[in-house]
Amino acid sequence: MLSALIWMPVLGAIAILLLPQARAEQWARPLALGVAGFVLLLTLILSFEFDPAGVAPQFAQRLPWIEPLGLNYTLGMDGLSFPLIWLNSVLTLVAIFATRGDIERPRFYYPLILFLSTGAAGAFLAQNLLLFFLFYEIEIVPLYFLIAIWGGSRRGYAAMKFLIYTALSGILVLASFLGLVWASGAKTFDYQPLLQQNLPLDLQLILLITLLVGVFIKIPIFPFHTWLPDAHVEASTPVSVLLAGVLLKLGTYALIKFGVGLFFQAWVVLAPSLAILATISALYGAFSAIAQQDMKKVVAYSSIAHMAYILLAAAASTPLSMTAAIFQMVSHGLISALLFLLVGVVYKKTGTRDVHVLQGLLNPERGLPITGSLMIVGVMASAGLPGMVGFIAEFMVFRSTFPIFTIATLLCLVGTGLTAVYFLLMINRVFFGRLPDALATIPKVAFQDHLPSFVLTMLLILFGLQPSWVVRWSETQATNFILSPALRPPSLSLLSTSHSPLPTPDFPPPL
Amino acid sequence: MLTTAQPLIQVNIEDFITRLESGQALLKDTPQNLVEVVGILKSYGVVLDAYSHNLIYIADHQFLRLFPFFKYCNGDRSLARLKKHWWHDRINYEYAEYCMKAMFWHGGGKLDEFLDSPAFAQLADRAIRARWRGNPLMLTLHRIFPDYLPEQVRQLCYYSALGQFWRVMSDIFINLSDAYDRGEIADIPAVVSFILAGLVADAARPVHYTVEINGQPYELLPPAQGLTFLMDTAVPYVEAVFFRGAPFPGTVSYNAQAYQIPQEQEQFAYGALYADPLPIGGSGIPPTLLMQDMRHFLPEYLHAIYRKQLRQEDDLRVQICESFQKSMFCVTTAAIQGLAPHPLSTTDPEEQGANRVYLKGWLRRLQESRLVRVAY
Repeated sequence: MLSALIWMPVLGAIAILLLPQARAEQWARPLALGVAGFVLLLTLILSFEFDPAGVAPQFAQRLPWIEPLGLNYTLGMDGLSFPLIWLNSVLTLVAIFATRGDIERPRFYYPLILFLSTGAAGAFLAQNLLLFFLFYEIEIVPLYFLIAIWGGSRRGYAAMKFLIYTALSGILVLASFLGLVWASGAKTFDYQPLLQQNLPLDLQLILLITLLVGVFIKIPIFPFHTWLPDAHVEASTPVSVLLAGVLLKLGTYALIKFGVGLFFQAWVVLAPSLAILATISALYGAFSAIAQQDMKKVVAYSSIAHMAYILLAAAASTPLSMTAAIFQMVSHGLISALLFLLVGVVYKKTGTRDVHVLQGLLNPERGLPITGSLMIVGVMASAGLPGMVGFIAEFMVFRSTFPIFTIATLLCLVGTGLTAVYFLLMINRVFFGRLPDALATIPKVAFQDHLPSFVLTMLLILFGLQPSWVVRWSETQATNFILSPALRPPSLSLLSTSHSPLPTPDFPPPL
Repeated sequence: MLTTAQPLIQVNIEDFITRLESGQALLKDTPQNLVEVVGILKSYGVVLDAYSHNLIYIADHQFLRLFPFFKYCNGDRSLARLKKHWWHDRINYEYAEYCMKAMFWHGGGKLDEFLDSPAFAQLADRAIRARWRGNPLMLTLHRIFPDYLPEQVRQLCYYSALGQFWRVMSDIFINLSDAYDRGEIADIPAVVSFILAGLVADAARPVHYTVEINGQPYELLPPAQGLTFLMDTAVPYVEAVFFRGAPFPGTVSYNAQAYQIPQEQEQFAYGALYADPLPIGGSGIPPTLLMQDMRHFLPEYLHAIYRKQLRQEDDLRVQICESFQKSMFCVTTAAIQGLAPHPLSTTDPEEQGANRVYLKGWLRRLQESRLVRVAY
């Protein structure tokens, strides 16, 4: 079943590639939509069978591949990967739907999107370190082409920068994995056996720092972030949706699964430094967003700020903070996807994203009133307004980190306050005021252009009002990450009874 | 937030003077402009007819009713009528009241003078005492606050006067549309001539107001005062509604404390000829209410033109407003021609000079209007 999530998009991509040239324009998009819809259906079916109380990887599959290298095709889904698989399935469908019907070279474009989905799904499901690395690297290739071919005027520069940064990220992640396996003397790269490794702390620190630098590039965390704004600005809207919504989550997924999971002792030592770095990144992202003129850059820098909250929560290493980190991934994925979609609509209709050029787009007669209204909802969610998914995620993050990293949490709260500042500045400039005559001839927005945004907006509100529909899938796994004796020697625990941020009577007993 | 007005485009006065002297209108003569102007004036005529009936109904039948809950029902209080009203499937009579209040506030003409005279005060007092006969509470209040009820009566006089003015204008616009349908109107100058002829024909039509209280008639604007349609309602209306307007419920926000509102009412330029057709999302915008009303009565040929535009029905009210402003520049042209000291086509140099001084006065006032945006 899990393999279907990975290989169905590949089969779909091959089918599209094999379409006759004359039919490609007509059939590529429906075929891609069909495949993405089918993958979403499979994800839904898996949800009925997924046991949220289980801590071992579920629907496990293991096929020997290159055993002398320790590389096996080992898949499994746990409470960490489950919500991210959902995110990937939903946003892939959204991205394909949001693609212009008349896109150039559809026979190449849609397969790349599907390969991207494959790479992300594979990485989230891989239970073998080398297999994870392969998928982690594979998704760079389609993304590079998607930016380089269908991007903006500086697409070549942005794509090359993305390639160099993320390739470096991959090398560092691989180096950390190789070091772990060689130093521990393990004969396999499978994840589960490596959980039992007991390397000296110094070595763990070296390997963890190597891994962290790699994933910090991917997330990205200051000062490894400079590729992201360029990539977002040059990428087309659907690619930005996938980049922000799914691909950045590969970094945070690796952070928790491998950083916390494999190097817990070293993680505990580095945690205060990571909290400081998260704070710097959150504030840097927020202040940078205030200074931006390009709407896409505002959202991109906002991403840097909000992704830093995940690092802060992970650094706190409590059951609640790990659950919060996972929830923040989902929250950020949905919010940033929505905001990029809406910025895309504004750009498509007005031809600019410059906040000093745009004005009055909320005009009910000749502006983009629905786009503006949805943007305001998205911004409210991002700023953490109650009733929205962003509020729950950030409240969980800050509630869980406050007892452990009080000052860092308070500073990150300032960053959250700044979210309202930079987004309201953008909203005020772009959507309020009088619509200039130059913008008074904007064509109307078709319903299908808004449909993906409507769906994401509904999810933002739905999960804001009923967060347990997301949290319940990850709660047990997050608790197990922290409380499992195999992972957490008592002497190194950050979590003591006095530090417990919230009583967790509903959590199952530690396994 | 402060919403700034759209950037000003200066009117080239000489161009327009030449245009007016050659018999043209302020609005350029094109087939598209002709269809828009005639079509929109037809729907405006229908709406004015409803406004006029309601204003006269309020003046005659809601006299000094302190809680006129049913003033927009024209005497029909059936459930069906109320449901229609509550469902907002109705004419926005509030717009007519905004215009009445603009006239009342800005004043002008003999009507305004008469309402401030002792003669009117006597007439109003008689009517007030008749209205509240047997009601010691109201009569005591009238004695304590002697200005309150007379002010209400003055306002009711404006209800009646504007209703009578719009009665005439409605007929002119509907007749214009009928003449166009018969093929008698072929260009914009013909539209202006038709309106001017209508205004001249009714120029001396008397404006009077008598209210019936307990079966007895009480004159408030007696015919003996010699108030007439053109000089005492049309001219003050054009001044108040076309030029000055009311700045506060308009389409642009102004900050009086930042001196964005002129000190003198004569310098106000917030009327229909200056209104921004693009609503900015604020509430209670009078021109928008009028556009909403007119959209129900658009002739099909004009509606078809609007549907072919970029946003089709989405910006119908904006398109209506733009056409409406074009038509109002035709009405303004008729007023300019009608009030000119000499025929604009005169060849006498002295008369031409006097006309030029007169025309420059009008066009200076139109400097900041929408003239340049719609006149080409």
